[in-house]
Amino acid sequence: MSVAEAPPETAVRRGRLRLDGVRKALGGREVVSAVDLETEPGEFLTLLGPSGCGKTTTLNMIAGHLSADGGVIEVDGRDITAVPPHRRSMGMVFQSYALFPHMTIADNVAFGLRMRKVPAARRRKQVAEVLEMVGLDGMAGRHPRQLSGGQQQRAALARALVIQPDLLLLDEPFSNLDAQLRVRLREEVVALQRRIGTTTILVTHDQEEALAVSDRIAVMADGVIHQLDRPREIYLRPATDFVAQFIGEVNALDGTAAGPAREGHACEVAGATVAAMPPGEPPATGAAVRVYVRPEVVRLAADGEGLRGTVRETRFLGSRIRCVVATKAGKVTVALPFDARVPEVGEEVTCAWRPSDASLAAR
Amino acid sequence: MAAVGRLAGGTLKRPRWRTGLLLALPAIAIFALLFVAPLFTLVANSFRTQAGAFTFSNYARFLGDPFYRDVLWNTLKVAALTTIGCLLVGYPFALYMRGRSARARNWLALLLLSPLLISMVIRAYGWLVVLGPNGPIAAVLTWLGLTPPQLLYNDTAVLIGMVHVMLAYMVLPLMGSLDRIDPTLVPAAKGLGAPGWTCFWRITLPLSAPGMLAGAMIVFSLTASSFVTPAILGGPKVKLMPYFVYTQATTTLDWPYAAAIGFVLVVVTTGLLLGYSRLLRRGRGEVVFG
Repeated sequence: MSVAEAPPETAVRRGRLRLDGVRKALGGREVVSAVDLETEPGEFLTLLGPSGCGKTTTLNMIAGHLSADGGVIEVDGRDITAVPPHRRSMGMVFQSYALFPHMTIADNVAFGLRMRKVPAARRRKQVAEVLEMVGLDGMAGRHPRQLSGGQQQRAALARALVIQPDLLLLDEPFSNLDAQLRVRLREEVVALQRRIGTTTILVTHDQEEALAVSDRIAVMADGVIHQLDRPREIYLRPATDFVAQFIGEVNALDGTAAGPAREGHACEVAGATVAAMPPGEPPATGAAVRVYVRPEVVRLAADGEGLRGTVRETRFLGSRIRCVVATKAGKVTVALPFDARVPEVGEEVTCAWRPSDASLAAR
Repeated sequence: MAAVGRLAGGTLKRPRWRTGLLLALPAIAIFALLFVAPLFTLVANSFRTQAGAFTFSNYARFLGDPFYRDVLWNTLKVAALTTIGCLLVGYPFALYMRGRSARARNWLALLLLSPLLISMVIRAYGWLVVLGPNGPIAAVLTWLGLTPPQLLYNDTAVLIGMVHVMLAYMVLPLMGSLDRIDPTLVPAAKGLGAPGWTCFWRITLPLSAPGMLAGAMIVFSLTASSFVTPAILGGPKVKLMPYFVYTQATTTLDWPYAAAIGFVLVVVTTGLLLGYSRLLRRGRGEVVFG
């Protein structure tokens, strides 16, 4: 699923969520501190972070299962901060799926419609439609325990979608599935979300999942959003040390800021001049900075501008070739395409990258 | 989950049946020697005259006598009311306990079990004081200018005393049932538009049915066969089956008739419990207990 693909024109243009300074303390500890967030209608936004970062607490405040200690939560301009969960219109899929074990799949899916007093005939029709949409037609009469994990997940999704919610909230919905099914189901969910255009908030600790499905990612740690941006920017231009280290593998090179370059901002690293993009205001000349470069963006050359070093190790990993280059600034890991020339161990090389593919931050 | 007896690698090897039997043997022996065998003797005795000849007269006497039919009815009524009382008092308590910390739960459980730590006789005499004409309840009512009602030596007194003792037998299985409910089910129902009460009626209550059933069975059968508390708090006016088993066996010395009364109680209680569990099981389409 490419990020450039726009949501369909036919989709209902609603579901604009806005969080303004939302806070929550649990057990005397501030779990969420002043979170600001705004989604576009139809957007797929992911809250990504390690356990305890406040992402699930944030989701539960959006759903209304937890009340915010401060701040405002708005949907399409309506302040819902004080609205109880049963009067909000949120379709939530829980990590455990939370299907009602004493009801059939049809009754589970119909529950929200029953609460909305939808007449029986229309209810049956809508349940049948949504079950077909998630590929569970024929399972209506079963009980949740008679379904596989993947089917339960689809049933939970159907139950959340049938009420045509303002927002679809997904709390680690794929984490209880095995690796293959996880990838397949998440592709299905993304395709479905594109089709119906419901604004979706996903909570996950899986960075690969976040990169694969999201229009934008909010990386959270210690109750604050470190960076909110498109997956490509999050990956290539981490705004903070935490984002750089949490997602994928990164080369963190310490240096001093040296003023604007032809592209990006120049930086002295162990006697060499490199360039990268500062995520915000460029640092003052002479300030201590750290440059973040992903292994995939580093190119090796025999000479030229860049960081000189000696190849220490090469490994063929199938999809790519992994090299470790010892430089004066420390070891630099490089991921070369599988068909690149494999450098000899001991070879002198220059590590270089496009400034727009790397970032730098004050340290 | 269906993971009972399974590891990631496959099904666990079952212990050999002989090893299993050996482990269960002490319990089986106790039940066989001290419960099943005497039960057979009891049944056999109930079909004998005092002289030892085979007869149906003991049962004919019981069923033919409106007084004894009344006693049976009253016994079942007190047991049923105690069960309902325990449910009404115990369910909110179990709900309250569920949300507490492990530490608070230990204290609450101790509170719940405290009546069982005191001798039945002492506890019943305690109630005698509390409910008596010079007790605190009567004093408060008199102070308020009301005439205190007769609280002792009637069904109400027995009911109060029995609910007090039996509460733990209701709350503990109920707790077990409530603890097994996935804590995200109620938030899920709320998110779908169900207000608090609807969540309780449609999610929590039906899913705690196994615990209610187990608790109800224990409370009902223990109450129907209880002797000390009804005898002390009910006095001579409240006539329950165990009391007549006792008087027939020790005062009248009519052992066969005492056996017949006892066996009628066993059969009626067992029959009611089986029917009750069958009814609930059919309603839920699954085995919940027994």
